[in-house]
Amino acid sequence: MTGDGAAARAMVDRDLLETSASKDILPRDAVVRVQGLTKRYDDVLAVDDITFSLEPGTVTGFLGPNGAGKTTTLRMLLGLAEPTSGEALVFGRRYRELDQPARRVGAVLESNDFDPGRSGRDHLRALALAAGIPSSRVDEVLELVELAANADRRVRTYSLGMRQRLGLAAALLGDPELLVLDEPANGLDPVGVHWLRSFLRRFAEGGRTVLVSSHLLAEVAQAVDQVMIIEGGRLVAATRLDELTRGGQTLEEVYLRLIARSAS
Amino acid sequence: MTAALRAELFKQRSTRTGLGLFGAMLVLILFVVLLHGLGVDAGNFDSSSKQISVLFGWGEYLGALFAALLGAMSITGEIRHGTIRPTFLVNPRRQRVVAAKVWASMLIATGFGFAAGAVAAGAGTAALRTRGINVLLDAGDYTLLIAGSAAAAALWAAIGVGVGAIVRNQVPALVGIVVWFLFVENLLVGDLAGVGAVGRLMPAAAGKAISGQNPETLLAPTVALALLALYAAAIAVAGARAASRRDVA
Repeated sequence: MTGDGAAARAMVDRDLLETSASKDILPRDAVVRVQGLTKRYDDVLAVDDITFSLEPGTVTGFLGPNGAGKTTTLRMLLGLAEPTSGEALVFGRRYRELDQPARRVGAVLESNDFDPGRSGRDHLRALALAAGIPSSRVDEVLELVELAANADRRVRTYSLGMRQRLGLAAALLGDPELLVLDEPANGLDPVGVHWLRSFLRRFAEGGRTVLVSSHLLAEVAQAVDQVMIIEGGRLVAATRLDELTRGGQTLEEVYLRLIARSAS
Repeated sequence: MTAALRAELFKQRSTRTGLGLFGAMLVLILFVVLLHGLGVDAGNFDSSSKQISVLFGWGEYLGALFAALLGAMSITGEIRHGTIRPTFLVNPRRQRVVAAKVWASMLIATGFGFAAGAVAAGAGTAALRTRGINVLLDAGDYTLLIAGSAAAAALWAAIGVGVGAIVRNQVPALVGIVVWFLFVENLLVGDLAGVGAVGRLMPAAAGKAISGQNPETLLAPTVALALLALYAAAIAVAGARAASRRDVA
C-alpha cells in the first residue's frame, strides 16, 4: 500500500466512492471504515446510509453546511453515539472496543470541553492518568501546541485560540495515528488558521491520518488532499480535491453546486 | 481500573470545588449544631438518645447530604463543562469510568463524613457544657456517631454518582438530592406514612440509623448499613448502565 504513490491514490478514489454493495473489496488496512452508517432521532434522519473509508497518510476534509450530519457522524465514529444502523470502524474495530484508544486516535469535538477552574496542565494530566500516559508527555504536547508558558493558568483565563490548542494537545497526548477534528478552525484568527493548517500537514506527512470537519471552505481547501461533502445526512461527494476541481472550478463552486442539487 | 481511579482522584483535587464543598459543609454543621446546642430547651437533652437525635446527629445528616452532592457533581460537572467527551474518548468503557467516580467519591466522602461527625461531636459537646448540661454520650456513642457518619457519607456519595449519571443535568440533580434530603423523606415519607412503617427504610433515615440516631424508631445500625449499601449499589449500577447506554451529547 505504501509503494506506488499513484496506485495508492487511485485506490483512495475508488474506495471513497464505493457503495455499500461492494463491501468486501474495501481495503483491509483502512484507518477508518464506515459502512451504511445511519442515525435517526425520532423522525429526523441525521445521518443517512453513509459509506466511506480513509487510507493512512491522508488528510480528509469533511464538509457540509451546519446541521448536515458531520458532528453526528464523527460522534458515532468515536463511540459517543450509537448508530441506528450500519457501523463505523476505527483500525478495524468499534471505537468502544479499542484497547488504549488514546494511543491510536486523538479527537477534538468541541472547542471548550474544559473545567474552567482547572489549569491547562492539570486538564492534560487527568487525561494522561486515565490513559496510562506518562506525565512527561504532558510537557511535550504543551510545547508542541505552544502553550507551555500558560499551562498553569486556569482555563477560565484562556483565549479561544488557546482553548483550541489545549484541545489539540489533549488529542495528541497518546501520539495517535488518527486525528479527528470537528470544526477546529472556528473562531481562530488568520495566524491560528495558518498554524493549524501547517500542523495538520506535518502530522500527515509521517503517514498519519487526519479527518477534519468544517463548514468553512477556504480554510480547508489548502490543507486537505481529499474531501467528503455531506448534505442532509447524505454523502453527496467523496473524492480527491484535485479531481473535484479538475474542470477549473474552485472547491467553493463545486460545493455550492452539489449542495444546491442535493437540496432540490 | 487503577488508572481510571487515579484520574478521578486527580480531577477531584485539581479544582477548588471539593474544598469549597467541604468548607461549606463544616460551616453549616457548626452553625446548626451550635444553634441547637445553645438554643434548644434543656428538657430535650435529658437522655443520650435525645442528645444524639436533636444535636449530634446533624453531623451525619449534613455530611451525607454534602457527600451526595460531591458524588453527583463528579459526573454532572463533567457533563456541564463538556469534559465528559474527552473522558469517554480516553476511556470508552463508560461503566468503568462511572465505577471509578463511585470509588473516588466514596473515598473522599469518607473524609467528609468523618470530619462532619467529629465537628458535630466537638461543637455539640462544647455547646452543652457551656450551658452546664451533662453530656450523656459514652465513648461507644461517640465512636458510632463518627464512624457511622463516615460510612453514611461514603454510601451517599455512591448514590450521588448514580443519581448524577441518571439525571445528567447538574442543577436538577443537585436540587433533587437536596429536596429529597430536606423535604421528601422527612415530611412526606416520615410524617405522613409514619417513620416506623416506611420512613425508616428510606436511605436518609438509614444513614441516620447507622450513626445511632433514634434507635427507638429507626433500624439497628448494622441493618441500616446493609440497607444503605444496597441502595448505593443499586443506584450506582443503574447510573453506570445509563451512562453506558445513552449517547453523549
